[in-house]
Parts: sequence; structure tokens; C-alpha cells
Amino acid sequence: MRVLVVEDEADLADAIARGLRREGYAVDVAYDGDEAVDKASVNDYDVVCLDLNLPRLDGIEVVRRIRADDVGQPTRVLMLTARDSTRDRITGLDEGADDYLVKPFDFDELTARVRALLRRDAGRSGAVLKVGDIELDSSRHEARRDGQQLPLTPKEFALLRYFMSRPGQVLSQEELLEHVWDENADPFTNTVRVTVMTLRRKLADAGDSQPIETVVGRGYRLREQP
Amino acid sequence: MNPPGWLVDRLPEWARSIRFRYTLLYSAVLFGLAAVVVAAIYLVLVMSLRGEPVSPTYTKRICSNVSDRCVTIDYFQAREFTRFVNSVTLTKLRNYSFGALGVLFVASLGVGWVVAGRVLRPIGRITSVARDIQATDLSRRIELPGPDDELKQLADTFDAMLARLDAAFAAQRQFVADASHELRNPLAIIRTNVDVALADPHADPDELRHTITVVKRASDRMARLVDDLLALARRQEPILEHEPVDLGAAVAEASDDFVVPAAARQIVLDRAIAPDVVVTGDRDALKRAVANLLENAVRLAPARSRIRLATGSEGDRAWIAVADEGPGIAPEDQDRVFDRFWRADKARSRADGGTGLGLAIVRQIAESHGGQVRLQSKPGVGSSFVIWLPVAATPSSTGDSGPAAPSSLAPVATPADRARTRPSFGPPAE
Repeated sequence: MRVLVVEDEADLADAIARGLRREGYAVDVAYDGDEAVDKASVNDYDVVCLDLNLPRLDGIEVVRRIRADDVGQPTRVLMLTARDSTRDRITGLDEGADDYLVKPFDFDELTARVRALLRRDAGRSGAVLKVGDIELDSSRHEARRDGQQLPLTPKEFALLRYFMSRPGQVLSQEELLEHVWDENADPFTNTVRVTVMTLRRKLADAGDSQPIETVVGRGYRLREQP
Repeated sequence: MNPPGWLVDRLPEWARSIRFRYTLLYSAVLFGLAAVVVAAIYLVLVMSLRGEPVSPTYTKRICSNVSDRCVTIDYFQAREFTRFVNSVTLTKLRNYSFGALGVLFVASLGVGWVVAGRVLRPIGRITSVARDIQATDLSRRIELPGPDDELKQLADTFDAMLARLDAAFAAQRQFVADASHELRNPLAIIRTNVDVALADPHADPDELRHTITVVKRASDRMARLVDDLLALARRQEPILEHEPVDLGAAVAEASDDFVVPAAARQIVLDRAIAPDVVVTGDRDALKRAVANLLENAVRLAPARSRIRLATGSEGDRAWIAVADEGPGIAPEDQDRVFDRFWRADKARSRADGGTGLGLAIVRQIAESHGGQVRLQSKPGVGSSFVIWLPVAATPSSTGDSGPAAPSSLAPVATPADRARTRPSFGPPAE
């Protein structure tokens, strides 16, 4: 899951990015509105955490432009605002933000809202994803197969979560790189292949079959039934 | 004339209204005037026409032979007959006059009630709109239609007052919104950084040190902001301190703190301070105003430039001027620089430590001392801020005691030696 944090307070933006990365998200940061629009037009973000009060380009305008660019899966926008007047929030929601959070916020609340926004697309309720005999609890950061806990790194966890939010779909290496890794990942390394390989090994260790199969020439797929 | 309180309290509501009193007054005056006129006419007539009841001199009864009917004929003397007619006429006149006066009284009550209602109707409208405005919002206006008469002037005055109130409340709301925004951002920085650091049980010392540094930076910023907000709130009222202040000494003292920060950015701080200028006011506040101007200049002026600080007096007014050599303020922004939380470049100056309140405080200090602050600026050339203050009425400060102040405020580069002895800029002649 790829997240863009747009916030002109560098100290806040960096802390949010650090916290979200630890939760297994691929996070990019933009420090003003122009940069945010540039990044959103190049990358396909699942969630944008957007400060409304930005230099150069106002947050509302950023939402408008992100919405105008939206093709396919819509980008979810969580607006962060230091203004608590109802009018500001109504404007933000009317212009296309999906949710809002008033500063200062509890970081756990931020991650819970990001998860909730991601669930809207997955069409599921609850923080626990379940595919076959694999269970993934994003709020507790735990993944199990057959009740046995999987010792996953944050990147493997994020990768498994992305597979589990799209069970049965063939996912290309490019798509995985786009949504699970941030802009610092080098697209020419085989980091996707290596991480998929280690994830598959850990899944195989915990069960008797391999749920992630390779679709030759196209990518990978998580089987819905084991 | 107002009725006594106990009476007013017992009256029903309609009888307490100004409309009722106006009707009574109208009716009483009209009735009184009419009664006086009628009485006067009657008296004049009574005096000029002597009338009294008279009896006939003799009476004769005449009967007809044909119809067997008789008539009685009274015989009067001619003079007495006139008196008799007068008497009857006067009696009738009196009776009709009483009747007319009665009708007039009732009619005057009705007319008075209607007229009073008409006259007072705009006041009712003003009242109802004013009451609604209290309950809802200040954006409504009375907008009384009709000719430009006294009541319309009253309504227009109300409207103007409402507009001023509306603007004042809007400014206050905006200030609270801005202040909460400015306070919440550093709070959010502190909270998020602490949350993220606490959530990581394996955080290494470097990461924790980084978090602590960020938290310190944010709390410093909040402390500065709270200081400035309190300074603004405290100086809302006219100053309380009324001590004579040696302006030159206060300005020199305030500027001492900026010699080192200026040198760190290789900025030359030229000071041309006139002796013996005394103003009345709050010494600390004046020092703060100078410090705020110098802080902006040192923070924003380009490195290796020159900042000039000068004081002086002109007639009965003293001035403090701070001029820098850049970056200057765009003409469209010059009216707004003294607004609270206004910043030329939000992101940059916030990171630099500006709260956005410095110039608002300067203006407030100047105005609370009965003075004002003026700005002259040209983008790319520089800005000059001048604080004007009334000179204290003491014998030591009569006449021009500062260096001669040329009328041009534009910060022109001048030879350094001249600038050191007397400022090449000063307050504009107004």
C-alpha cells in the first residue's frame, strides 16, 4: 500500500512517514502543494494524507487535481487540518477528501483511519483480512497461517497485505513495486522478486502448500482456495 | 414627563407603549386646543349678544270661525324678542359645541393612535431586526426604505455600527482560528513524534535524540508564539506605564542584543541614535517594538548587507527608524504586513522562527503610545519601518534634538562615514 504524506511542517511530515513505514506502508513525502500534485501524477497512491494549509498550492486545490487525475482505483484522501471549524471540514469533504483528522492527532488514530480507507476499496470490514488459511491483522501487525504466526519483515508484511487485499488477481512486478515500495526503491533491482521469494518461503514453512503462485510472464497470484 | 414607576408597573402592556402615550398626548392637546377655541367663541358671543329668557308682554288667543281651531299668539317687544332669539341660539351653540367636542375627542384618539402607529412603524422594524441579529448573525442589516429622514438616519447609523461590529467579530474569529492553527501545528509535531518514538520498542539512541531535538524545536516555537500572543493580549488596552523614557538609551539597549546575530550573518548594524529624546510610555514595550523590527531585519535581510537604526525627533514627535537592504515587501502586501499572522513566505519564515505576530505587536505598541508605525518598501531594494511617538512634555526635549532627518525614506546606499554620524534616511515629512 503506497501512501503520500503532504505536509509543509517537515518535522511532522517526517514523523508521519517514519511511523507509517514502520506499519509496512510505502511512504513518499511532499512538502508543498506543487510537489504533491507532481508526485500524485507520476505515482499511483492508495492513500494521500494531506495537510489543508500548504504553501504555494492550497490543500483543497491539491485534492481537486488529484481527483481530476483519478483513473481506475480512486486515491483515498485523508485530510489533516489544524483548523477545526466545521466549514473548513465541509469544504474539504465536498471537494473530494474521504476523511479528516484534526491536529494534533493520536498517531494510532491516523493509522486506524488509513486502514479504514484502504478497507473501503477491499470491500471488507474489520482490520483482519482472511484468504484461505492465511489471516492478517493490520492493526496488530500480525500474520498467521493455520494459526501459526509468520515471522515477517515490514516489507514482507506489506507485500502479503497487498496480495490479500486482491486475492485471485494477477499482480505484476511493476504493480507491486508501485504500491508496496516507495519512490526510493530502484526499479532496476530485483527487490520485488527477492521479497516475494522470502515471503513464499515463510508461507511454505507454516503450511503444506504454496498459496502464492507464479503466472509466467505476467506476475504473481494469491490463490483464494488452498 | 414620565409617569411614576408604580403606575407604569400596573398598566397593561399596550398602555405602557410609547404609542399609547403619544396618542393620549395628541388627543389631549387637540381636545384642549379645540375646547379653548370653542369656549373663546362662546364667551365672545355671550358677551356681544345679550341673551336672556323673556316672557311675552301679553298673549292673545284667536279662534277661527270656520274650522273651530284656535291659535295663541305671543306678543313681544322687539328688543326683548332679539334677546329671546339670542338666548335660544346660544343654548343650541353650547349644546352643539359640547357634542362636537365629544366627537372630536373620540376622533382625536383614533387619529392619534393611527398616526402614532405610522410614525413608530420604522422603529418597530429597527427593533425586530436588531433583535433577530442578536439571535442569529451579524451579517443582516436593517436597510430601512423610504426618504432620508431622521428614522432612516437612525437605521443607517445602526447599520454602520453593525458593519463595524461584524468586521471586528470577523477579525477576532479569524485571529482565534489563526492562533489555534499556529498552536496546533507545533503540538501536532510534538505529539506525532512522541507517538512514533514510543511505538517503536527497538528505537536506537540516535532516533530518540532526533525525536527529542524535534520536540525541543517545536516547543521553542510554541513558547515564542505564546509569548507573542500574551504580549498582544496584554497591550490591547492603552498603556498603563507612564514613565519618561530616554528613547535613545532604550533603543541602544534593545539593539545591543542584535549585534552578535547580525555579525553572524555578516550584516553591519549601523546605529545613529540621537541623545536627549524623551517620550512617555512603557520602556519595555518600546524596547520590544525595536527588537521586533531588528529581529525581522536580521532574519530576512541578505547576508553581507547593512541594517541602519536611527532615532531622532521632529517638532513634538520622536521617531525610531529601522532600514534594511532587502528583500523588500511587494506593494500589494504592504498594507497587510502589520496584520496578525501575516507572512510573506509562510514555510520559510516559520522555519526561521517567525511567529507572524512581530509587526502586529510593533503596531500595537506604537498605537498604544499615541503614535503610529509607517512602512516604505521596494522589493529588491529594502524596507524602512518608522515608529512615530509623541515627545514627552518636558523642558529637556524641546526643539529638534535628533540628527536632521531628510524627508526621503528610501534606503539609499550612502558613504559609510556619513551614515555613521547621521542617518541618511529618516521619517517622511507628513
